[in-house]
Amino acid sequence: MNEDHSWEGNWKVLLYERVRERGYESLTAFAEARPTTSLVALAEELGEDDLNAVQVFSGLVAEAERSHRVTRLVRGQLVRELAKSFPDGWPAVLDDANRFKAAVALGAWFGFTPETHRERVDQGSDALLAHPPPPGWRPLGPDDELLRTLLPDEEA
Amino acid sequence: MDDPQSCGVAAANDRPPDGGLLSEATTGQLALLRLSGPRLQAATSGGMLLAAWLDYLNLAETVHQKCPAYSVERLFRDMERVQKRIAPTMRALASMEPEQVEAATAALPELMGQLTQEYKSLSEAGRVAMERAEQAIAAAQFIEMLTAMSTLKLALPRLPPTAPALTGVGLVMSSGGIMAGTRIVVTAEWVEMMRRLVQAGAISVSAASAAVRIHAGQVMMAQANRELPQGVREALGDGPEVRAMHETGKAGAGMAERPRHHVLPEEFREWFEKRGFTGAMDINKFCVELEMAKHQALHGGGNWRLGRIWPGEWNQMIMDVLQRAERRAGRMLTRNEVLDIVAERMKEYKIPMNFVSGRER
Repeated sequence: MNEDHSWEGNWKVLLYERVRERGYESLTAFAEARPTTSLVALAEELGEDDLNAVQVFSGLVAEAERSHRVTRLVRGQLVRELAKSFPDGWPAVLDDANRFKAAVALGAWFGFTPETHRERVDQGSDALLAHPPPPGWRPLGPDDELLRTLLPDEEA
Repeated sequence: MDDPQSCGVAAANDRPPDGGLLSEATTGQLALLRLSGPRLQAATSGGMLLAAWLDYLNLAETVHQKCPAYSVERLFRDMERVQKRIAPTMRALASMEPEQVEAATAALPELMGQLTQEYKSLSEAGRVAMERAEQAIAAAQFIEMLTAMSTLKLALPRLPPTAPALTGVGLVMSSGGIMAGTRIVVTAEWVEMMRRLVQAGAISVSAASAAVRIHAGQVMMAQANRELPQGVREALGDGPEVRAMHETGKAGAGMAERPRHHVLPEEFREWFEKRGFTGAMDINKFCVELEMAKHQALHGGGNWRLGRIWPGEWNQMIMDVLQRAERRAGRMLTRNEVLDIVAERMKEYKIPMNFVSGRER
């Protein structure tokens, strides 16, 4: 493994340089083009040795705040977490092992939720487990229909 | 190739070609293994040392019973001398402090060499005392008996009168294991296990080398700090990456000590204790050394954020994730589940998975 330099130097400048180099107008556009990719993999693609996942997410939050699309970002983050826990889609049976996987995905989702949305994410998580989606459900982006009922846009 | 199962197999095969037990372990499991490294090293070295001490106890008992010509006072002085020689190393091993354990392990072959010499001269002195008391036959039996029961016997016959001429006896790696001359010193299985542990960073090359030198016997032990032949070192897992791993794990000589960061927040000690983080798995054992800038960033300092509404502070983040995961799992998380979750978050923050003990030195 290479030595990590992600907290050295001006990574904020670096982050946007790399996004532009890859032909995107914004970090959000770069991330939405890879809707099921984990934050770690996004960070690796942008800069394996000098950027990390929390920096990428922080940048995404800043852009979402400016464009008033935080809810959309939050939905998009659940897509990434679910893709990690259930690459083949929502399981048919929620036994202990699958329930744990779901719990890990939802826990991580909460960790990557801005303060303004924590309550809604908590409610949405409970709802998802109380009324599980159909087996095989695999949201491919923030526009997924089920996700939009779980966490509808309310911003202007 | 389209069905998910074959994709899964392809992914599973996408691992480094060297394969094997440890390469299938998760990063978290490897970190745990590394955490137990000092204990493993201390136990291995301590076991050899204890076996040697047991030899001395047997020797003392035999001398005491069979050879009245050897005075009890003299025997007591001899044993006290040996005990004093062993004690500092035992203390260092018992401390479990990685640096102390490492130093004691590296010095072990030389100590074992000295102990073997001493054992030999002590039993010789016993024999002489018996012969003086005209018990020549009993004396010969006495030596035979000592040699048969001793752990040090492996080393004993390897010191012939012409020892210096034998210093050229090399260690070589063969398919059966590591050989000294025509004798297998350690088996191929042992070498393979050591190689994996060394490459996982759990034990150091010098610890594995020390064990080989002790098993190889007197001649190798006497050559203090001599490195093993390259072929043998490579078989034990030595290589540039392994050396680099050990170097980056240390603060480095002359450098200011880097701040130690508790990966599992201290304010939640009780929460972690209830989930099995006690004793050798105490949260103090899960610290990492970080650069100042990174440490500040993890704790929300240094104005690192881009957005306003997501603080991304490590302690809050990790507890949020763990407590929410537990609530949704509907049961208490196990220690390994906690560690797996923490390991994932560490990747996101690019916190190196090299745990050090956070106790004050």
